[in-house]
Amino acid sequence: MAGAVGGLISLPAWATGWTPETVRSSRKILSGSQTDMLANMVETIIPTTDTTTAAGPGAKALNVHLFVQKMVTDCYDKPAQENFRKGLDSLDGLAQTAFSKPFAEGDAAQRTALLTQLAQSTDKGRKDFYSLVKNLTIRGYMSSEYVMTNLTHYQFIPGHYYGCVPVKTKTLSQPK
Amino acid sequence: MSYLNIDAQALNTYDAIVIGSGISGGWAAKELIGKGLRTLVLERGRDVRHVTDYPTTNMQPWEFEHRNQLKREVRDANPIISKCYAFYEGTEQFFVKDAEHPYIQEKPFDWIRGYQVGGKSLMWARQTQRWSDFDFDGPARDGFAVDWPIRYADIAPWYSYVERFAGISGNKDGLATLPDGEFLPPHEWNCVEKHFQQKIAGRYKDRHVIMGRAAHLTQPQPVHYQQGRAQCQHRTICERGCPFGGYFSSNSTTIPWAAKTGKMTLRPNSVVHSIIYDEKKGRATGVRVIDTHTKQMQEYYARIIFLNAAALNSNLVLLNSTSTRFPNGLGNDSGVLGKYAAFHNYRAGVSGEYDGDLDSTTDGRRPNSPYIPRFRNVEKQEMGFLRGYAAGFSAGRVSRSDQNGVGADLKESLLNPKLGGWYVGSHMMGETIPKESNFLALDSSLKDPFGIPQLKISIAYDDNDDKMVKDYQEQLTEMFTEAGFKNIRVRDSHASPGLDIHEMGGVRMGKDPKTSMLNKWNQLHAVKNVFVTDGACMTSTSTQNPSLTYMAMTARSADYAVKAMKKGLV
Repeated sequence: MAGAVGGLISLPAWATGWTPETVRSSRKILSGSQTDMLANMVETIIPTTDTTTAAGPGAKALNVHLFVQKMVTDCYDKPAQENFRKGLDSLDGLAQTAFSKPFAEGDAAQRTALLTQLAQSTDKGRKDFYSLVKNLTIRGYMSSEYVMTNLTHYQFIPGHYYGCVPVKTKTLSQPK
Repeated sequence: MSYLNIDAQALNTYDAIVIGSGISGGWAAKELIGKGLRTLVLERGRDVRHVTDYPTTNMQPWEFEHRNQLKREVRDANPIISKCYAFYEGTEQFFVKDAEHPYIQEKPFDWIRGYQVGGKSLMWARQTQRWSDFDFDGPARDGFAVDWPIRYADIAPWYSYVERFAGISGNKDGLATLPDGEFLPPHEWNCVEKHFQQKIAGRYKDRHVIMGRAAHLTQPQPVHYQQGRAQCQHRTICERGCPFGGYFSSNSTTIPWAAKTGKMTLRPNSVVHSIIYDEKKGRATGVRVIDTHTKQMQEYYARIIFLNAAALNSNLVLLNSTSTRFPNGLGNDSGVLGKYAAFHNYRAGVSGEYDGDLDSTTDGRRPNSPYIPRFRNVEKQEMGFLRGYAAGFSAGRVSRSDQNGVGADLKESLLNPKLGGWYVGSHMMGETIPKESNFLALDSSLKDPFGIPQLKISIAYDDNDDKMVKDYQEQLTEMFTEAGFKNIRVRDSHASPGLDIHEMGGVRMGKDPKTSMLNKWNQLHAVKNVFVTDGACMTSTSTQNPSLTYMAMTARSADYAVKAMKKGLV
């Protein structure tokens, strides 16, 4: 389980466990272009990086956008789904206003600024849309096989419980 | 034709029939079969074989499509079962869906059920605390229900017997309120739990914080290896079924043990409609079973019958077993069948934080937590409410990351979380008082999918429960304060009865046939070859998680039943 923090090159090792087939929803509530927009949005929230201590694939490469879509489709009610679609459809218009390009064509700073603006929106629908996608993106990324295996070192079978250990040996928290 | 009938009858005749394969039914099967009886075990649900029928047991978190969240359609279709903490994407297959077995809530009651071989022993919380005489003495001392026909000395050897076989971890604490058992090594404490224990010991003579006794193999013994079980691996996903057999379940332990004798016939998909009473013989002769696939009714016969359908369904079976002799349900001369049902009050909790011990944390996971035995009204009645409560307690730390913003900074923050301070939490487990007004009955018109009358459940909290919630909140707040915990918050979920999954009574034990259903051997006063040893038999509830007591009662009762059978008494 030692840190194979290899970035995109190590893709085949984790991609086998979590393929588009396993995360694709049986029902589709997004069109192709909405799905692409969602992919760009989750990648903006958690981008592929190579310069920080958190180097590695971003949310899009880990198919988190498919996870987000599946969750909204299967676990959320109709109004939330409606607001989700509406939010995705609004991004290009907001991008044109903000930086005169479609959302996907903005640079990272422009896209990030736009999402930050959504987060601070006084429009409840926009704010809810942002929170929904952001929270599910974080959840999908942190619970992806790649992150749990290579970065947070999830132990499926701890085999023990030690009650009092010095703090420094502690790794990340361990969801079930 | 008559020959055929005789053949069919012979084919369907056993020495014993056990109705139900859950925690007590599994024990009844093992014990009766261990004493040489050819036994038919009837289970209304499907077969669930150890390991092979645990489909999610080896699934990694990312392999769950919805990360263990319930789908909307599952939640919408199952408002009752969706309230259960153990019901999630990885365990859906082990819980009864709301529509599968409808019932009537005269008062709100969340009936949580597991219809499969193993019953709820697959998904139980595995806490196994003994009763003491402070519990068995309760009704007589405090003047409610009826006096228990047994005392601790009657059941103590049977606790030891089942503990050794099941594998119970715990520490010998020497407490009169919670007698020690045959323990495997206890689970570890963390620093803050230890701190709390010491603070409480220093402040209160009569309050103790101990490690919970739990049905986990912390150090398997030869008998556990013989069962094919291995050491608990601390995965803490027990409710999905454990391939190691790290915790006790019927599936991992009693049922396979009984099966290997060759004397057990396990018949899943068999809903018991009623017990057959022979007016001439003055005894029960068998059971009527509806096959869930064919919907056909079939009769099976035996010398003795153990009813272990789980508390409420055992009531249902007896209520539905009517005859000229027993028009109001089998063995119901007293009229108390279905009455004096009770449960455990799990409504309240207390949480807080602790600023100390920040250089320490925990490593791994623990399928158990510390336990605070009852300290109210123990030696004598002293509060403005009857009886008392036990409490769970635990402490832990979790890593948290700043989730503000988006982009590379967010990613950096997510992957470099900071270990938070200690949180502490407790939940109450209150004794409730069995009352005639808390009852179970059959509906006169509504039927379940098998044509059996639906069970009407009329169970509610009372003023005693409310007072106890308040006292628990006050006392735990005081104890948390004593330990230096901060930001102490109390809650009262007002959850309906049922979610505790400790429903009990309705077929209570007692000395007097005029006021009880069962004698001291869990034997129907009026029908000596029928034994009820699941939660239905409970005269009072005390505060302890009840499964261990059901196991011990069952083994004790089966021992008596076989002896009585050999003497021709049943």
